[in-house]
Amino acid sequence: MSQSDTVSLGAEALTLKHGKTTIIEGLDIRLPSSKVTAIVGPNGCGKSTLLNGLSRIHAPSGGAVLLDGKNIHKLPSKEVARRLALLPQDTIAPDGITVSELIRFGRHPHQSALKQWAMSDQEAIDYALKAADLSDLQARLLDTLSGGQRQRAWIAMSIAQETPLLLLDEPTSALDLGHQIEVFELIRELSEEGKTIAMVVHDLPSACRYADHIVAMKNGKIITQGSPKDVMTKELVMELYGVECDLIPDPMTGSPILINIKRVKS
Amino acid sequence: MMNSLSTTSTQANVPQGYVNLTVGQLSCLLDRRALRRNLLLLGLVILASIASLAIGTVALSPWQVIQALFGYGDALSQFVVQDLRLQRLLAGIYTGAAFSLAGCLMQTLARNRLATPGIIGIDNAAMAFAVSSVVSTAISIAPSAMALAGAATATALAFGLAGSSGTRGYRFIVAGIGIGAIAGAMTQLMLSQVDIDTANAAYPWTVGSLSARPELMVNILGAGLLFCLIACLLLTHLFSLLPFSDAVITGLGSSTKWLRLSSLSLSIILTGLAVAVAGPVGLVALIGPEMARVFARYRGIPLIGSALAGAFIMVVADLVGRTVLSPIELPVGIVTSVVGGPYLIWILIRQRSKSTI
Repeated sequence: MSQSDTVSLGAEALTLKHGKTTIIEGLDIRLPSSKVTAIVGPNGCGKSTLLNGLSRIHAPSGGAVLLDGKNIHKLPSKEVARRLALLPQDTIAPDGITVSELIRFGRHPHQSALKQWAMSDQEAIDYALKAADLSDLQARLLDTLSGGQRQRAWIAMSIAQETPLLLLDEPTSALDLGHQIEVFELIRELSEEGKTIAMVVHDLPSACRYADHIVAMKNGKIITQGSPKDVMTKELVMELYGVECDLIPDPMTGSPILINIKRVKS
Repeated sequence: MMNSLSTTSTQANVPQGYVNLTVGQLSCLLDRRALRRNLLLLGLVILASIASLAIGTVALSPWQVIQALFGYGDALSQFVVQDLRLQRLLAGIYTGAAFSLAGCLMQTLARNRLATPGIIGIDNAAMAFAVSSVVSTAISIAPSAMALAGAATATALAFGLAGSSGTRGYRFIVAGIGIGAIAGAMTQLMLSQVDIDTANAAYPWTVGSLSARPELMVNILGAGLLFCLIACLLLTHLFSLLPFSDAVITGLGSSTKWLRLSSLSLSIILTGLAVAVAGPVGLVALIGPEMARVFARYRGIPLIGSALAGAFIMVVADLVGRTVLSPIELPVGIVTSVVGGPYLIWILIRQRSKSTI
């Protein structure tokens, strides 16, 4: 699989606007290869916009997103889709679709009107079903699954896309704790197989626990980035969210945990 | 990484329920169930066609019809079939297929099963132009050509006013609704200002009818339909992405803009040509795709099924309209509305009872 090839995704002097409002201006970023990057920050800091910019959903007003050194908007979209998979926040599926049918759509960038099915498609789908632990559910209708299973099915679709890069926009936002862990552990497994992953995450402790690299954003700028242990300080939490807290290392994993969180009284 | 999943056979496993047609490096996946149901629909269209050619003031047997179609049999049946009835049958098949296929495309594009090309005002504008040509001069000047001009004008206006196709074509649809309303009002105004005979002559254009069907226009529609069907077949694989959100479509490497523009254009071409032949025929664009969905139980978008179902509905409706109150002829648009309304309600009830279990 192409995941062993090193693929790089980054942006130079990236400016992203919603209409006339500038969300992000002159931002530089580079995703570390074969690592999980978590983009964190308060609501409205531009983290989803950045992810959409990196995944070519949102066209830049200035600067460029570079995939392997080439401007992503100059590359054929289908070629990009063979290197970069995306799990957006609004996932609407066709009515009455089954799990395996959804996953089959992940093969779209590898197919064409006259080349709709090949051995490699079957292999990729089988692999995705296995990786996302959905083999028993493959014939089920997507609507009948639990939230966590459904999210796993969408991730399986991007696994079937066989891309070395995977971008996820709040993959666990509507899930309960058990299902969140299910999804995060799947993401970890994918990264251990060599995928370069970036995700927008709301929950700071989860970001610290499951990401190798944290990108902290505020007002459209990257304030700091690095490994969770280096980056995560009470000062950063204060700056991002305006709350006071203390940080202690998780006795089992060593990743930072937030305790004693309180609002700052002005 | 794939080593754990070694497969010994060289033939790829095809997803359950599909047939893989392969020619060399080319392969095409066909939904087996849909294929069977579509063949069945095709059979229904053929049966309805034979019935439509056989039944009328001069009654023929199915065998006589088939003989006459291929140039055998007696002179009378050949004349009745080939010169009197065949053109009308073709007009029915073409318009039904075109309306229904256009509806299916529109519903997929708008992600709404109630969307039809009618809501964007194409058929109202075609009606207004056709009526204007009937009422303005003593001898009507080619109402068909006027209808086509009306459809084109409405489309151009809607595109111009909307500026772009916008998110899922909504801007375009809203502009179209406005244009359709104006065209509808103009038609009413014209009909209220003329004498009763002229209004009568213009009447078929307001409900949809197959009785005024210039041969040239029918042939143009036939060619247009063929083009659109081939385009749909080639694009089915891409169109299957339409129900997804824009971000997913982009993520899978397709252009949402192009998908929207191509499906909208095909839908407009089909509707424009069909209204030029038959006027605004009610509900076929809604019932055809619905029938294809229920009957063919497609997993994808029922493009071909819709075309077949639309043709069937139109041929049967015209047959009913010609015969039920014979010698008075009911315009086909009235029959599709009278029969189509209850059919839609039946589908709704059926689905509700299924989903409440």
